[in-house]
Amino acid sequence: MRFVLYVRNGEGYSELRAELDPAMTVLDALESLRAAAEGGAKPAVARVPHYRHSCHHGSCGTCSAVVNGLESLMCLTRLGELAAARPRKPGAAPEPPEIAADGAVIVRIDPIRRGALVGGVAARPDEALRAIPEWLGYLRPAEAIDKAELEGDPTRQATGEVLSGRAPERVRFEACIECGLCSSSCPVSVPFMGPAALAAMNRGRERGEARAEELLDSAAAPDGAAACERHLACSRVCPQAVYPGKHIQLLKNALASLAAKMKA
Amino acid sequence: MFNPPVPHRHAARVLIVGGGGSGAALAYDLALRGLSVLLVEKGEFTSGTTGRHHGQLHSGARYAVGDRAIARECMQETLILRRIVPQAIEYNGGLFVALSDDEADYGDSFISACLEAGIPARDAATEKARAWEPALNPAARRAVWVPDGSFDAYRVPAAFLAGAAALGAELRAFTELVGIELRGGRAVGAALRGPDGREERLSFDYLVSATGAWAGRVGALAGLDVPITPAPGAMLAVKGRLTDMVISRLAPPGDGDILVPQRGLSIIGSTQRRADSPEGILPTDEEIAYLKGRAAELVPSFADAPFHAAWAAARPLAGRASNDAEGRAISRDFAVLDHADDGVAGMCTLIGGKATALRVMAEKAADEVCARLGIAEPCRTADFVLPSWRALGAFAARKEA
Repeated sequence: MRFVLYVRNGEGYSELRAELDPAMTVLDALESLRAAAEGGAKPAVARVPHYRHSCHHGSCGTCSAVVNGLESLMCLTRLGELAAARPRKPGAAPEPPEIAADGAVIVRIDPIRRGALVGGVAARPDEALRAIPEWLGYLRPAEAIDKAELEGDPTRQATGEVLSGRAPERVRFEACIECGLCSSSCPVSVPFMGPAALAAMNRGRERGEARAEELLDSAAAPDGAAACERHLACSRVCPQAVYPGKHIQLLKNALASLAAKMKA
Repeated sequence: MFNPPVPHRHAARVLIVGGGGSGAALAYDLALRGLSVLLVEKGEFTSGTTGRHHGQLHSGARYAVGDRAIARECMQETLILRRIVPQAIEYNGGLFVALSDDEADYGDSFISACLEAGIPARDAATEKARAWEPALNPAARRAVWVPDGSFDAYRVPAAFLAGAAALGAELRAFTELVGIELRGGRAVGAALRGPDGREERLSFDYLVSATGAWAGRVGALAGLDVPITPAPGAMLAVKGRLTDMVISRLAPPGDGDILVPQRGLSIIGSTQRRADSPEGILPTDEEIAYLKGRAAELVPSFADAPFHAAWAAARPLAGRASNDAEGRAISRDFAVLDHADDGVAGMCTLIGGKATALRVMAEKAADEVCARLGIAEPCRTADFVLPSWRALGAFAARKEA
């Protein structure tokens, strides 16, 4: 299938035309085009602007971008999806793809908003994560439904790994991969620490982190939970079903009940 | 708070080329020894082979029968990593599972080899193993417990980079080494192309190529012939955390015999072939179908789990292979090659190695660099808990401001 990729490059876009397999991801397409350009392919292929990537399976969160208007991980977005009807912004109705004069499906790639732009579509979501305290954990108990307790591990003593002082249990990472898509999609225009940081704080409270009260204090800042206007774009674009909007509401509820208690 | 003391600052400037696992750990190690470090990476950090690896924290059990020394090293390193980057590791242990009588018999030599290598492997009754992991194939004949785990292939090296940055190392992503200046048989300078395309020249006292499967290209810039074979391996992830423990086949190492859980995914790997270039490598349909079948032998519900992603990464094999079979015969061991004997002093190439061993590979490389520069500083990377990977972004932002 014919595709034309418009990849943001400074003020304009680099135009990359190619015959590509619709089963390919956007990231695989960029990788193939870059390999062709650097390998001296004939006819010459245009240089691909900078883009971020690492794990290629939606775990690292580096390849976040705005693809045809919608916040997406490039490694999990297939070209075929872009050749079919798809929303052009979070929560919108699906629209048919844009087709160029030569019949190629148009794929427009922009960097995430509110990111630190390095170049091309490479932008780091540092600002979206800035409010997460350094000490906040990233491990949570795994859902061990109907599974026997793991026991008899002689290496646990050597490393002292226990979750929040509880007995050793099954662990897994938090779902959030810190990709910044939520923050990019958020329409709030006042100073706001953003959905990713607030969701991480509420998850810390839910896990029962020792310093949970500090998390609530942070969320009480003027640029914290109160700045959320409940557009819920964050929950719609999150590739990991973290539902940051829900966590912000839970923080608001906790702050409201705390305020009510103070009054009483 | 991450604030390790650096007693002596040395003037020696080391240029590390490559921002994967070994480059990241080396930048941290050398910065902790007080050297002045600049690391450059042509793309984003960990965008080569490192970030795409399987994510298995190896206890070494897989290697124990074949090579006790490598297995022992893996065991020591997993304990260290669990201490110094605890938040980037899902540690739940692992099971090696036999599905045939032959595999069950192999268990005896497997366990004794593990014990010789310092890995506390032990038999788990198959009922016990299925109570721990109900998704296991009910036909399992034997199960052996080992201290395997999963780690975040991006966040572990990113934490090392954050540690390096906190100690003053300069880290530049999207910065490509495009030339090496030689003077009197010594590498003395580099031409770098930055994110904006502008080129810059700078001098260094020693250059380390930590570029894995790209080492041949970097060596060629200094006129060196560095024998490296890119050996792509494919991986397949399905949705659903089918197990918490890492599940491996109780058999000599082969293809598609490790199932690693991570967040809400289950990932089977790997395969091995050879390639001429490490760039733009994609898994083939055959590899994906093969991996799916192999995973379902270990955990039958894998066959019905929804597809999530398939990808491939280029392992850097030390040596040259013209076909797949020759590639398999190449050792997975790690080496530091100083190029003085090849006519280029002041430069070395790191070759081979495994992701779990990133810290100790960096230790050996840093020992070599310090010896060449006449600096006597011990390695201290096992002594401190690393800062969060999130600090990497914070340091980058601070430098730009």
